[in-house]
Amino acid sequence: MARAFKNTRRGVTGHLERAERDLLRNLFDDVITLLEPDEDAPAVPPSSPERDPLWELTGLSPEDFAASAGGAAVEPPRDPALRRLLPDAVKDDDAASAEFRGLTEHALRQSKTASLRAAKLALETSRLHLDDASAPRFAAALNDVRLVLAERLGIETEEDAERVHRLEDWAEAESVDDYLALVYNFVTWAQDSLMVALSDRIELDLDGPFGEGHVR
Amino acid sequence: MLTPETVEETAADTSPAYEIPYVLIVWNDPVNLMSYVSWVFRSYFGYSKAKADELMMEVHTLGRSVVATGSLEKIEADVAAMHRYGLWATFKRADEA
Repeated sequence: MARAFKNTRRGVTGHLERAERDLLRNLFDDVITLLEPDEDAPAVPPSSPERDPLWELTGLSPEDFAASAGGAAVEPPRDPALRRLLPDAVKDDDAASAEFRGLTEHALRQSKTASLRAAKLALETSRLHLDDASAPRFAAALNDVRLVLAERLGIETEEDAERVHRLEDWAEAESVDDYLALVYNFVTWAQDSLMVALSDRIELDLDGPFGEGHVR
Repeated sequence: MLTPETVEETAADTSPAYEIPYVLIVWNDPVNLMSYVSWVFRSYFGYSKAKADELMMEVHTLGRSVVATGSLEKIEADVAAMHRYGLWATFKRADEA
């Protein structure tokens, strides 16, 4: 088992075995893929003459601006795991939620993808070093992985969570779900140990992970 | 760091007094760790540990908690931020909550 994350003067450090890092990187990749724009949307293939090379150079697309301009309602994702990452913002009001999605969902996908990519990059070395900007993003990336795994495992109540939590021994894993449950418990352990380190640190932390700082 | 959101929130603070207040509600979820939820409340809203823990326990035991109140613009920005952290947050007019 890997060492827990620790709070140090220079940031949060942690140590993960190669197999654990590979596992986490694969999980981060899975969520990045899940967050890619809806496959139903009419995509322009990269080689298409309609794809403006100037847009390519900027790394942006006209859709980025269409999305940030807002206005158009966006339906919730059909994949329940993706819906957990991109939840409705207004309860029991589909129209208001769709309008909010039109304004925010594109940026939310981009923000989550950026955090997941940064988390992947942090796993390049066996000794992890997370500074005050990257540690919270790492925690959010772990949380997104857990939300997706929880959906696949059907965790909807505290009892479901308890049932999954009881599985501890990799030698006892008999099914894909058992294996998924053990992966989920590992990510939970990693996130919990990171939260202990970050809570020790919070008094010194003046900026939020997404640059918003303390809003009050 | 100055971001468009910072500007938006600053602008929202000077919104007219007659504006209807909105509330941000965080819903319980068996997945999100209690330590994580409390830490998000502390690091994003700047709440004390005691207040963050109290709100987190309210979410955990009552199923939901009103975590912030403010203008529509401010609360919408806060909801978007909670979604970036992976918490299930919604907003509502304060008089309907």
